[in-house]
Amino acid sequence: MRGVERKKALWGFIFTVPAIVFFAIFNLYPILYAIWMSFHRKDLLSLKPPRFVNLANYVYLFTSESFWNSLKATFIFAAGTFVPMVVLSLAFAALIVSRKRLQRFLQMVYYSPAVLSSVVAASIWLLMFDPRGLANQFLNFLLNTKGVDYRWLANENMLRLATIIVYFWKYVGYFTIIFVAGMASVPRSVHEAATIDGATKGQDFWYITLPLIKPTTLLVCVMTTIQCLRTFSTQYLFVQGGAPLKPIDVVALSIYNTAIRDHRIDRASAMSVLLLLIIMSLSYLQMKISKSEEVSY
Amino acid sequence: MVKRFLTSSAAWFFLIIFAIFILTPIAFMFTASIMSSKNITKIPYPWFSGEFRWQNYWQAIRGNDGKFLYPRCIWNSFIVATMTSIGTVFLCSLTGFGLAKYKFKGRTIVLLLILATMMIPFEAIMIPLYLIVMNLKMQDTYAGLIVPLIMNAFGVFMMRQFLITFPDELIDAARIDGASEFGIYLRIILPNSTPALATLAVLTFRSQWDNLIWPLLIVQSPQKRTIPLYIIQFATEKYTNEGAMMAAAVIASIPMFILFFTLTNYFLSGAELFAAKKD
Repeated sequence: MRGVERKKALWGFIFTVPAIVFFAIFNLYPILYAIWMSFHRKDLLSLKPPRFVNLANYVYLFTSESFWNSLKATFIFAAGTFVPMVVLSLAFAALIVSRKRLQRFLQMVYYSPAVLSSVVAASIWLLMFDPRGLANQFLNFLLNTKGVDYRWLANENMLRLATIIVYFWKYVGYFTIIFVAGMASVPRSVHEAATIDGATKGQDFWYITLPLIKPTTLLVCVMTTIQCLRTFSTQYLFVQGGAPLKPIDVVALSIYNTAIRDHRIDRASAMSVLLLLIIMSLSYLQMKISKSEEVSY
Repeated sequence: MVKRFLTSSAAWFFLIIFAIFILTPIAFMFTASIMSSKNITKIPYPWFSGEFRWQNYWQAIRGNDGKFLYPRCIWNSFIVATMTSIGTVFLCSLTGFGLAKYKFKGRTIVLLLILATMMIPFEAIMIPLYLIVMNLKMQDTYAGLIVPLIMNAFGVFMMRQFLITFPDELIDAARIDGASEFGIYLRIILPNSTPALATLAVLTFRSQWDNLIWPLLIVQSPQKRTIPLYIIQFATEKYTNEGAMMAAAVIASIPMFILFFTLTNYFLSGAELFAAKKD
């Protein structure tokens, strides 16, 4: 019998071998490589072997204006997207769940931009942000002005807002669905008990739903933050389409440009390591918090 | 009663306003794709201009240089996304099966390592990954686009969570009937986990169809481009008018819309999986 168990154990291990090999080559090794490379001097096209330069790349980054600008651009983008994304997806999920009719239909409508690829989304909005485009027409209508060009793709702050709008538009439905699923997993009996005790709809939401979907809320918060810190496509297409780079030079775009346009893979590696550290520490923080916030019902 | 009617109407009001915000750009894409620049830049925007400029589509497919690269790029995207999905479904379920149903030394460590890689942002490892792919002589090939993305930690984790609740009796019965361990995977596990497999396939297909940054690094020759690369190239060319740009966008979106409308549940449950309580 023990022989059978051992044979089974061996098979279990064999089944995981492809994964171990894959993650070792394509995840673990690149990280170690990036860390190693970040302490060396290396040009993408030069054949010279990498030369050890200690912290020079990091010193360079922390004293360079463009890296601080990238961090700033990324954090403005993340902060500007985070709040509306979490608040509105939560609010709309609550509204959808409280509807008796058309729940599925509304979910499909809100999710539909997430089906489009990000390049398509960015190219649609590129035209809408045109000086003669719909964005200006809408703002003119809203602010009751006539024919004003709000310079969506030229003004620094408007450009940042523009990228935030594109991202928000594309992913808000996705997070709404996550909240809907979280709310659906709260047992109906809890809500019924609250109603019998005389709770209003608002009280039910604040004191029953919200505390019980805390794990979902945390998950959405972390996913939004991490995804925002990784943003790339919209910014890339807008810059290709003629928008100024500086206000939307987010970290991922900066890594790409440093490595491919400037051929400085050493600096790009140092930036990758810093991005990794930021995101890993945020994930760690999330795990810590979610452990202490487990709910059971 | 009146109060309830009012709150209900307010809820519908916000939901509909928001739905309009969501759908406007999509409607813009479809309507602008059959208009000339003159109509598109008209103020106010003529939603129904009565113009049907199908040349826009012809221009998008033909390309400004007349080389008909777009069909080729669509084919590339299709191959890359399909192959990645097939590979992901197969490999992630195999690993998930091994981790869920077998006890062996180091299982917890393997699982923890895979979970840890879930937190690694692709953007942080893309440069070393690019150098690895160059060293493997896979730049500018399908393999270079597919292989580094053929497995993902989320897929493994998802399959493991799904298979942990798989009835052991079924597996044991097959074993008694003389099935090999791999035979169990092939004949018992795979056919009985289609919902999870389909969800994973849809998620993978979508993310590869959408992928910009990795093809941007790997692809050099125009015939090897994927759809996002073609759209960026086409959109920034001098002779591309707005209508043709939107026509290219419509063409890129139609396969995803078809997939979305036929497999809605798998798309939505893909998002829902994230909300499922982790153990």
